[in-house]
Amino acid sequence: MISLIEPIQLENSLGDDGILFVRNDCILDTMVKTPLLVASMIIVAALLPIQSSFSSPRDLDLIIYPDGSTHISTEIDVDPFLTDYKVNLFGSTIDNLVVLGDDGFLLDVDVMDGTALIQTFGSSVITIEYDIHDLVSKQGRLWTFSLDSPSDFTLLLPKNSAIVGMTNLPLNMEIINEQNQLTLSSGSTEIDYFFSTNTISNTTEEIVNEEDNSLNIIIVGIIGGIIVIALISVIIIAKNKQKNVKAIEKVVTIQQNNILDLETIFKLKPDLREDDKELIKFIFDNDGEVLESELRKNFLQPRTTMWRAVKRLEREGVIEIEKKDLQNLVKLRKNMEEDN
Amino acid sequence: MKKLAFFAIIVLICGTVSPSLVNHAYGQNDPSILLRIAVQADKQIVNQLDKKYENKIPNNINILYDKGHRSVKSLDQSLSNNDIEKAKQDFLLAMNSFMQISRIISQSSEKSIEVNISVKSNQTLESKIDRLEKFVQTLESISKKHNKIDQNKDEFTKAYSLIKEIRNQINSNENPSKNITELNNLMNSIKKEIRNSIADKQSNAIKNFFEKFLVQIDQKLMEAKDLDRDQIEIDKANELILEIRELLSKNQINDAKKVYSELIVVLKNIGISVKIT
Repeated sequence: MISLIEPIQLENSLGDDGILFVRNDCILDTMVKTPLLVASMIIVAALLPIQSSFSSPRDLDLIIYPDGSTHISTEIDVDPFLTDYKVNLFGSTIDNLVVLGDDGFLLDVDVMDGTALIQTFGSSVITIEYDIHDLVSKQGRLWTFSLDSPSDFTLLLPKNSAIVGMTNLPLNMEIINEQNQLTLSSGSTEIDYFFSTNTISNTTEEIVNEEDNSLNIIIVGIIGGIIVIALISVIIIAKNKQKNVKAIEKVVTIQQNNILDLETIFKLKPDLREDDKELIKFIFDNDGEVLESELRKNFLQPRTTMWRAVKRLEREGVIEIEKKDLQNLVKLRKNMEEDN
Repeated sequence: MKKLAFFAIIVLICGTVSPSLVNHAYGQNDPSILLRIAVQADKQIVNQLDKKYENKIPNNINILYDKGHRSVKSLDQSLSNNDIEKAKQDFLLAMNSFMQISRIISQSSEKSIEVNISVKSNQTLESKIDRLEKFVQTLESISKKHNKIDQNKDEFTKAYSLIKEIRNQINSNENPSKNITELNNLMNSIKKEIRNSIADKQSNAIKNFFEKFLVQIDQKLMEAKDLDRDQIEIDKANELILEIRELLSKNQINDAKKVYSELIVVLKNIGISVKIT
């Protein structure tokens, strides 16, 4: 009797010993559909940064006051297609809360048990500022700051505070107005500090003093070398300038030792936008240079908006951008070409 | 196709790994700061121990201090050898030892009552005024941004003069509570005024948001109809959309927001995501 049901690929797939072999060369094409796989991988790869960017603070800055209260300033990316955004505040004793949307609008916010429900309505970035009393505790003369942060953050400690213990590695440290500012990574952090008259700058000096004399000699040598090179360069540049005076005359360039005054800048660049002019005024009032973060804080602009504005002014040739302590230092240019 | 698949995998791996690489690089910015902090902490601990115990330092604290001090030396050595990982370990070890010592000192030297900073009596007035001044500056920036500074100019001038007066009162040990209350009230009133003065602009922004969003929801509902989704729910959603549009035309923004919340629930029942792009 002939069997009606035969094993598929019986002849090809069974070897001499009757073992079943399966071809796996085309298994992706036949079973998973390669185009589908590729498309999903690309989508996943594209969405990864977006997913991680939504709902996570892009900037988180903390300032501790001498009484242990803390000012918190944070910028958060939110989904512009949602009406509300819920954010966990770092405690429940909140003062002076201000929430701003993309356009600098004050957004409505309900605070309950350390959670803020913000009506975002189309904002893609929100800025939240508030004061809080829950992050620092005091025992005897010892102050302890504790925070479980969802992102990297900066922490400005009070004047004359001296750190005597910490549980997290600082990413960076700088001194701003005689105050230590630490940059710390996300996660749980505890910092103990006392108030003392010995600040970090004294310690730095001591560290320098403790270094070997040989090192000092090397440093002096290097500095001396730099000064000599700088002097030679200045002489060469001065000579070149004298030679090139005629060529420079062809280009309408105004050059002087100090930064140009506002009137001249606006005359040279008559097509500047009004909001860009405000930025220039602010930079001018700050001796011609300011950090991009200060511009953001003063004009309450999201990082991307301010970055675009700064880039626009750089393209216009009004400012130049330099890196300073991992931040953008925006400087008015001393030389500016006139727009035709 | 294989090349494309390979490319996609590379993109996926790079996309996942690159953020951690960036963070790592940032962490290596200036390892010498670890030494600065540790040396400062060491010095502070020595000061505290001298003040508290003079030459009679308890054995347990001595052991902890030795451990911490050795770690600081080791940290210095690790940095000289450019061994960053070891330096990090040394730093954490040193700071942990100093932290333990400082906590023992503060527990034993004074009554170990934890004082929560939220307790008003423990707040210094200077800090309070610093915080209020920052709040005034924030509101002033918002007011400037919306060109309302001329309207609020007098209030801001008054706020700054109150701050100055309060600072003087603090310096001369007078009670500034009356002026602080006045300043708080003034700030609340300025905030309210700013909110009211930009209400029209804000309403328009919300209306635009709704318009953009509702058009997309309309399209999604039509697609849902073609897919034979629950017709009753689709009709309900359409009614809610009409209601929102009507409320918006009457400028009843808050009511529109409430109806919108209902719409989101109905859309979810139909199987439409609220995150429409």
